[in-house]
Amino acid sequence: MAAPAKGMTGDGAQPLLEIVGLSHSFAHHGAAHPVLRDLSLSLRSGELVCLIGRSGCGKSTLLKIVAGFIPPSRGHCLLAGRPITRPGPDRCVVFQEDALFPWLNVRENIAFGLAGKRLSRRERDREVDRFLELVGLRGYGEYLPRALSGGMKQRVALARVLILAPLILLMDEPFGALDAQTRDEMQELLLNLSQEREQTILFVTHDVQEAVTIADRVLLLERDCGQIREEIAIELDRPRDRSAQLFQRYCSRLHQELRQ
Amino acid sequence: MNKRPHENRRFMVPKEIPMKAKEVLPTLLVPLLAVGAWFAVSALGLVPGYLLPHPLTVLDAGLHYIFGTPGTGAYGGRFLGDFSASLGRVLLGFSLAAALGIPLGILSGRLVLINRLASGAINSLRAVPGICWLPLAMIWFGIGIKTTVFLVAMAAFFPIYQNALTGARLVAPIYYQAGAMLGVSRFRGIFAILLPMAMPNIITGLRLGMGISWAYLVLGELTGVPNGLGAVIMDARMLGQIDIILVGIILIALIGRLCDRLLVALMRLCFKSARRQS
Repeated sequence: MAAPAKGMTGDGAQPLLEIVGLSHSFAHHGAAHPVLRDLSLSLRSGELVCLIGRSGCGKSTLLKIVAGFIPPSRGHCLLAGRPITRPGPDRCVVFQEDALFPWLNVRENIAFGLAGKRLSRRERDREVDRFLELVGLRGYGEYLPRALSGGMKQRVALARVLILAPLILLMDEPFGALDAQTRDEMQELLLNLSQEREQTILFVTHDVQEAVTIADRVLLLERDCGQIREEIAIELDRPRDRSAQLFQRYCSRLHQELRQ
Repeated sequence: MNKRPHENRRFMVPKEIPMKAKEVLPTLLVPLLAVGAWFAVSALGLVPGYLLPHPLTVLDAGLHYIFGTPGTGAYGGRFLGDFSASLGRVLLGFSLAAALGIPLGILSGRLVLINRLASGAINSLRAVPGICWLPLAMIWFGIGIKTTVFLVAMAAFFPIYQNALTGARLVAPIYYQAGAMLGVSRFRGIFAILLPMAMPNIITGLRLGMGISWAYLVLGELTGVPNGLGAVIMDARMLGQIDIILVGIILIALIGRLCDRLLVALMRLCFKSARRQS
């Protein structure tokens, strides 16, 4: 078996997220069903890495382990040198499905995570205003989630985690349920925000074009062996032109890899 | 995306309790038809008066019961005393049921062990009809307020418990995960996430419980209580005063409905999660 692909740390600086020898299996009818096997990867600070793979390959599981929702069966998972043991505001998740609190309006949803921080009411309001503006939802603060479209909901979901300034942002197919037009808008928003804030992002997707559009690096997760099979750095200038020949070449290469 | 907010303002506030004529009229239609039919039956003499008195006779008896001078006739002006006695019993029993039912239901909904411990016993007890408890309650608590409160609490407990349980169980794990990553501890999550999410079910349980409270009140007041709306009904039966029986039934129906409205309004007043999710 080939050696697991190592995340290239390049300049040799300590990686922000480091996963070494991670294995995980689910109990299914009494038998252990392995999902991830001896997987290793690392993310530098400020990087946007897409984790791509077919459904059932364990990419969501990997994200949940990094988030601290489930403990890994074996292996290490370090964020800024410290082991991940439980969920926390330094590793925030934007879920695929709507996970906004339905009884809170947009403002209150965004301010939810600030409850633990000692901020005066005025400071909190100002923060919320700033992030409403940032995700393009000015004027929608008093709306309830159920009155929002899917794309707007994901904007709120993004704002409520960015406001906590997490070390790493984990995104689990966040735009998978959106229509193509909205998805493009959201990708653009995400790219702008991540560049402005130098936000480190681990982004799970099964959409090849999405990965090539946003990622600095694409990691391909193999379904059967539960490891990173391929690592592709996307060396394209931003904003990326989807009709460009090189863009297409990256896409078809990833498609091919996925089909194997 | 750039639409000004006021264009969508109607989405902002959940729908208020219906108050418009268009919505109220259908609600009133059936009671009005029933009263109309009652008038017709009495006017045509289809049913003898000792089985179903004329509506105006009943209205007269009701007005006398509510506004009459105390001491005139058997029932003159007794309403206020009966009403407050009954209301006190209902509120006491209902509060007991809610105070036990909600926490126990939430715990059973979240913790498998608690559910296994509680649900078997509770579900068997629920199968026992309320009237079976009456003899036991009379032996345990004697005749009077305790028996009534016990019966009311007993009856109201089950719907409150069951709905709180369902509500707690239906909260998707993703909300706890979202809470945890936003820095909410497990304990604070009970109040910050679990209870607000379960609120619509909790309210359903409370409303069902409130409704059944009034039913069991009458059962509890059947025997030997001097005052109360149920007591008046039983008393009137002994004296053959069918008009007062009807007055009692109508009053309980009206008060029960009013209590339901007040309960919902109170919950909406106190909890954002009730205001915005129902």
